[in-house]
Amino acid sequence: MNNVIRITGLLWLLTFAVTTAADALPAGVMRVDGAPAPALRLSDLDGAPYDLADTQGHWRFVHFWASWCGPCRREMPSIQQMAKRLGDTELEIVLVNTAETEDEVFAFLAAVAPDLMPLLDSDGLVTEAWQPRGLPATFLVDPQDRIRYQALGGRGWEQPAYINFLRNLPASTATPAGNR
Amino acid sequence: MAILLLGGLARGTAAAAERPFQGPYIENDDLLVVLIPRTREQMAAFYEARGFPPAAIERIGQTCFVTAHIENRSRRVIWLELDQWRFTSNGKPLSRLDADYWRAQWDTIDLHQASRSTFGWTQLPAVRDLQPDEPVGGNLVFPGDTQRLTVEAEFPTGVDRQGVPVSVNFGAIGCDRGTRQP
Repeated sequence: MNNVIRITGLLWLLTFAVTTAADALPAGVMRVDGAPAPALRLSDLDGAPYDLADTQGHWRFVHFWASWCGPCRREMPSIQQMAKRLGDTELEIVLVNTAETEDEVFAFLAAVAPDLMPLLDSDGLVTEAWQPRGLPATFLVDPQDRIRYQALGGRGWEQPAYINFLRNLPASTATPAGNR
Repeated sequence: MAILLLGGLARGTAAAAERPFQGPYIENDDLLVVLIPRTREQMAAFYEARGFPPAAIERIGQTCFVTAHIENRSRRVIWLELDQWRFTSNGKPLSRLDADYWRAQWDTIDLHQASRSTFGWTQLPAVRDLQPDEPVGGNLVFPGDTQRLTVEAEFPTGVDRQGVPVSVNFGAIGCDRGTRQP
C-alpha cells in the first residue's frame, strides 16, 4: 500500500514538473492567438524573391528591424549567435528590414551579423501589415502559417532559455508549447 | 479613485554624465519613464541621414521633439494612452503633433512611403497595452514655439483598465529650439 502511495505521489510530482516546464515561456515571449500570418513576399539583398508561404511545414522566426533602432542594433548579434546554435534544426530565420536602403542594410549587417541574409521591405508596407508592437519585433509562425508567439522588444536570443524554447517548439501546433 | 502620484521620484538633477539616462526620468516599482529633449540639429541629422528630403527636414525642424522611453516594471498590464496625458506650456494646454498632423504634412510634400514608414516607427505609439517587462519608445512632437513644457501622464492599469492608475509628472522639460539641453 505504501509503495502505491509513493509511486502515485512520484507520478503526480513528475506530471506537475512537466506541466510547469511546458507552461514556462522565456522572459518577454508572449503567447498570441494563432491568427494567420500576413503575406510576406519580399526580395533579399541579392534580389532573390522570398515568400513565407513557400516555407510551410516548419516553424519560422520572423524578425522586423531597422538599423537606426538602438534595441535592434543591440539584439542583432544575439540573433546571429542563435542562428549558429540552431543550425541543426529546421527553424527558419526570416529577417525583414523595415524601409531602409540596400546600402544601409548591408553596411550594418556586414559588421554585426554577416551570416544572416535579410529581406528588404523597402517601403515598409509589409511591416505595417504584420502590425508589430514596435521595432524590433519577432513573431514565431507555426508550420501551419499561424502566429503563435510574439517577443516583446529586443531579447537575448542566444541565451539558454530562448534556445531551449526554440528547440522544443512542437512539430504539430494543435497544442503549441506552453498550452500542452 | 486612488491615484499613485509618482512625480519627482528619482528625477535626475546631477550633471548629464552622472545620470543613468540622457534626460529627466521617473523610476519606481511600476514604471520607468524617461523623457529626452532633442535639439533641431539632432533631429535634422537623424532624418537627413535616412534620406528624408529637404522639405521634410524643414517641417521637422519647425517642431520640438522629446524622445520617450517607458518600461512596465510591474507584473500587470499598464496602458500607455497618450490621450490620458496632459501637456502644458506657460500654464496653457499644449497639443502634441499627432499622426494625423504628420500625415497631412507628408501629403503636402508627397513624401515617399519609405520615409513615412520610418517616421512612423520613430514616434511613440498612441496606445499600447504594456505587458510586464515590456519597453516602448519613440518621439513626442510639439509645436516649434514651445519652450518649456510640463507632462502629466496617467497610465490605466489592468487588462480591462480597471486597476488603480499610475500617474507620473514631469516639470520644465526643455523644448528650446536649436539648443542642447543642459
